[in-house]
Amino acid sequence: MTDQNALTDADLLDYASELLPADMMSSMATRLASDPVAQATLAEWQRQDAAIEALYHPVAREPVPDRLSDVIRRAEAEDAARARGRPQARLWLVAATIAALTVGTGAGWFARDLTTPAAASQTLAANAMRAYDTYVVEVAHPVEVAASDAEHLNAWMSKRLGHETRPPDFNAAGFTLMGGRIVPSDQGAAALYMYDNAEGQRITLYIAPQGASSTTSFQFALEGSTQSFYWMDRDLSYAVVGTVPREVLRRIALAAYDQLL
Amino acid sequence: MTVLDDIEASIPALRRYARALVRDCNRADDLVQDCLERAVAKRHLWRGDGPVQAWLFRILINRYRDLQRQNPVPGHLVAIEDLTFEPAQCGGQDASLALREVQDAMTRLPGDQREALLIVVLEGKTFDQAASLLDIPKGTLMSRLARARATLRLLTGRNSGPTLTKGPSQGAKP
Repeated sequence: MTDQNALTDADLLDYASELLPADMMSSMATRLASDPVAQATLAEWQRQDAAIEALYHPVAREPVPDRLSDVIRRAEAEDAARARGRPQARLWLVAATIAALTVGTGAGWFARDLTTPAAASQTLAANAMRAYDTYVVEVAHPVEVAASDAEHLNAWMSKRLGHETRPPDFNAAGFTLMGGRIVPSDQGAAALYMYDNAEGQRITLYIAPQGASSTTSFQFALEGSTQSFYWMDRDLSYAVVGTVPREVLRRIALAAYDQLL
Repeated sequence: MTVLDDIEASIPALRRYARALVRDCNRADDLVQDCLERAVAKRHLWRGDGPVQAWLFRILINRYRDLQRQNPVPGHLVAIEDLTFEPAQCGGQDASLALREVQDAMTRLPGDQREALLIVVLEGKTFDQAASLLDIPKGTLMSRLARARATLRLLTGRNSGPTLTKGPSQGAKP
């Protein structure tokens, strides 16, 4: 096998791929004609190719299993939901928020829910207001973990919610954090933070582990004297609840929204 | 065509390649599903630099390599030199190889050789495309192809006579 002219595997691979320029192909063919060993190798490779094709090509003609198509269907559903949640989520959200929070003091206004099924967000508001009504009247035990134990509070809430959670700061509106507790929600444990002001008025921020396909606009709910501004983002739902003047609650909701972004 | 349409259109080719790589039907589809989930999760980051199918093949190949690392099958790691060869049908001149024999031989090919051989032979990629998909230099691809073909020939018992061809495969360490 010292023949200078003998074709190497690399030569044969190039030749078999038929990617060489025409002149090289024809000179190779000439050399091949006088190289029976290379001819045998090439023939063997062709048999290998035929076997591989016969073995595996039919797989591509099999019907695609549902579990694979389902991956695509789920993604399409997500995209469709997202498309409904647009146009340009963030800008519209800000616009809707400003509209809701600045124009909204008049009677009979409402902030329209752009994406979530009405039922889910109404449940959110109802749960948040029920939690408020239950715990805001507590004198001895309004919270389970006091704000003074902030590190423990944050770790505990984050763990139970499954999301890193920190209570926003409402000092600008005159409200300071009292502490928090875990309350039930439709989707598992929810966090309830309670704040009070110098006059002893209390408001709560309720955070439930239920997200929307995209961030929703602010919405407003009123039940008796209890009011709530609530919204959802991708992972969590939020509701600020209180009986303070709507103007005050609105400022708090905006502060919460900004800090929780 | 959205990215999702392109992804869906690639499923048959991905299944074919995965089945040849992994052999077991369910494990092959697991591999494809894993690849699809990853691609779908990242679809908004897809910048359209190249065909979607090539992107998917890269994901599949990387996933396959991860699995190989997690769970290496000893048979895949046998060096060519160490393979015992029974000259069963020495010099057999059948026009076609027994498919069963080839299938068994494929599973005994080292993973890197199998990847290379299948991407070229089964998926019809050019050497340049294949090298890019496998993320290896073209020279490495060529030597893997030559080794894969030589190993396959050995394993299917068709290596009649002395070493037949010269080339990077002969005597080279895998």
